[in-house]
Amino acid sequence: MTSPALERELRADPSDPIGLDGIEFVEYTTPRPQALGQVLETMGFRPIARHRSREVTLYRQGAMNVVVNASEPAPADGEGGHDDAPKIAAIALRVRDAAAAYRHVLDLGAWAVPTHVEVMELNIPAIHGVGGSRIYFVDRHREFSIYDVDFTAIPTVDPHPPALAGLHWFGVVQYIGNDRMQDWTAFYSMLFGFAVLPDDQRFGVMPKGRVLVGPGGAASRFYVQLIEPEPGIVDAEGREWIARIGLGTPDPRACVALLRERGVQFNETPHVHSDERGAVTRTQLGSVVFELVRDDRSAS
Amino acid sequence: MSQHTGRIDDFGMDTISLAGPLPAKLRAIREAGFSQVMLSARDLVGHAEGVEAAIAAVRESGLRVTGFQVLRDFEGLSGQLHEYKVDIAKSMLELCAAVGAKVLLVCSSTSAHASADPDLIARDLRKLAMLAIPRGIRVAFEALSWGRNIEEFPAAWDVVMRADMPNLGIGLDSFHMFATKTSLDELQWLDPERIFLVQLADFMWQEIRSVEERIATARHFRVFPGEGAHSDQVAELVSRLHAQGYRGDYSFEVFNDDYQQIPLPDVARRARRAADWLGEGILRRSVPLPGAMRLQRAA
Repeated sequence: MTSPALERELRADPSDPIGLDGIEFVEYTTPRPQALGQVLETMGFRPIARHRSREVTLYRQGAMNVVVNASEPAPADGEGGHDDAPKIAAIALRVRDAAAAYRHVLDLGAWAVPTHVEVMELNIPAIHGVGGSRIYFVDRHREFSIYDVDFTAIPTVDPHPPALAGLHWFGVVQYIGNDRMQDWTAFYSMLFGFAVLPDDQRFGVMPKGRVLVGPGGAASRFYVQLIEPEPGIVDAEGREWIARIGLGTPDPRACVALLRERGVQFNETPHVHSDERGAVTRTQLGSVVFELVRDDRSAS
Repeated sequence: MSQHTGRIDDFGMDTISLAGPLPAKLRAIREAGFSQVMLSARDLVGHAEGVEAAIAAVRESGLRVTGFQVLRDFEGLSGQLHEYKVDIAKSMLELCAAVGAKVLLVCSSTSAHASADPDLIARDLRKLAMLAIPRGIRVAFEALSWGRNIEEFPAAWDVVMRADMPNLGIGLDSFHMFATKTSLDELQWLDPERIFLVQLADFMWQEIRSVEERIATARHFRVFPGEGAHSDQVAELVSRLHAQGYRGDYSFEVFNDDYQQIPLPDVARRARRAADWLGEGILRRSVPLPGAMRLQRAA
């Protein structure tokens, strides 16, 4: 436990301006929530709670929460495949103090997202991320479950299903437009304190682009991988979106075997195939991809 | 066609150089052979059928949008004034993105309420650039020759460097450079990658004696390059920028009361004459090799 006096000094840490402590949840929007739910279940997630007022379901495995939202339109500028394909609409960050983090990033030029909260619902501050997606700030995750406020538990279901093969959040992969590498690097480094990894340091089987590493403790640290269009290709529309989620596992081969038994299919081509570094699932529902990455941290 | 033919595609027109409604301006620009247009927010907002119709007209014109202007008096403010200007900036960035513009032009502040501290100015420009990042917009900061604290491009470049954002660069305007008689030697300190826009115009007399005269000349008596008293300097400016590695756009920003009352095709033809003079006589950029890049469109 940090003493209050030290807490004040820690707040000033410029390399970790918002006290980042990992990902609280990832939110998908989709007009076909049951189909996405099935995909999530094959990956080991279990539906554990439903939103009190909207068509929103909470899935969980280990320390990972996934929100499937069928009551909101997809991000306006986002593109993750064809129109009714699920889209990653939000990432919620655990931070030391959500209000302080929110003020900090707004001062630096982040866009506030207006929230539409019903009576007695949690007002989670959010800013615009890539392609119309949102970045939420969540604190007090250690004191109580934020989901208890807005969600009702599904009866008879274990609210804490264990993680398969030690699966945990590893990071997100973001597709960006031409000549946008510096812009997005500035976005993540200035607002949240991410740092650029050296080019010879890569994880998994998809090493392209630039990898940014988040600040904060080793246990909850996560990565953002930025990928530009292939050289020589000009993407006229300049579309940008969160393309996939990376999940860490201590033993990708064992994890792939386990997931195959559950019906998950993996890319096995000369260019992309599963090995001891990681694997990539085949695209489901037109857009949903999970990447497995070898990472010795196990689910907490 | 040789590989060193002047290219009309390097030049565009500002809508402010023309009178009339937006669709007529776009048509005149296109029919004069230009492929790009620098848009003024007023042209969109003032469209008779609303902003959506204006955006549709721009997209239907087939003209590439060079940039979008202009955000004024943004930097150096504090408290409520700052919050107010951030809101205005956000509205302009949204409009900028909606119309497909990749560059927002920002002019140095004329406000008596603005701080002269270059670090505070840089902080505000950094914030503006951050606001522009999710929308994929670059911010071009231009020294207005009657700016309160920044009136010459070396001072604008200084705060751009202090702000140090990848999507923040400088916008050059030949009118303001000539009006303040800033030495073109100062161009050598600029990184050509961070020059996001060059606007070209001339005027008819050699000397501008006062700030008032500067403002009046800028707003009413500009002419196209080749028509004014500083043709050699325009040519030198373009040549130096090219030699330094600038490969971005040139746009003709010509505020002129006479041009507001002659037919649009006549004005556009004058712009075309300026483009031909600069493109073929001075700049002579090479034409990209066919097949050097491929376009990827949405599925």
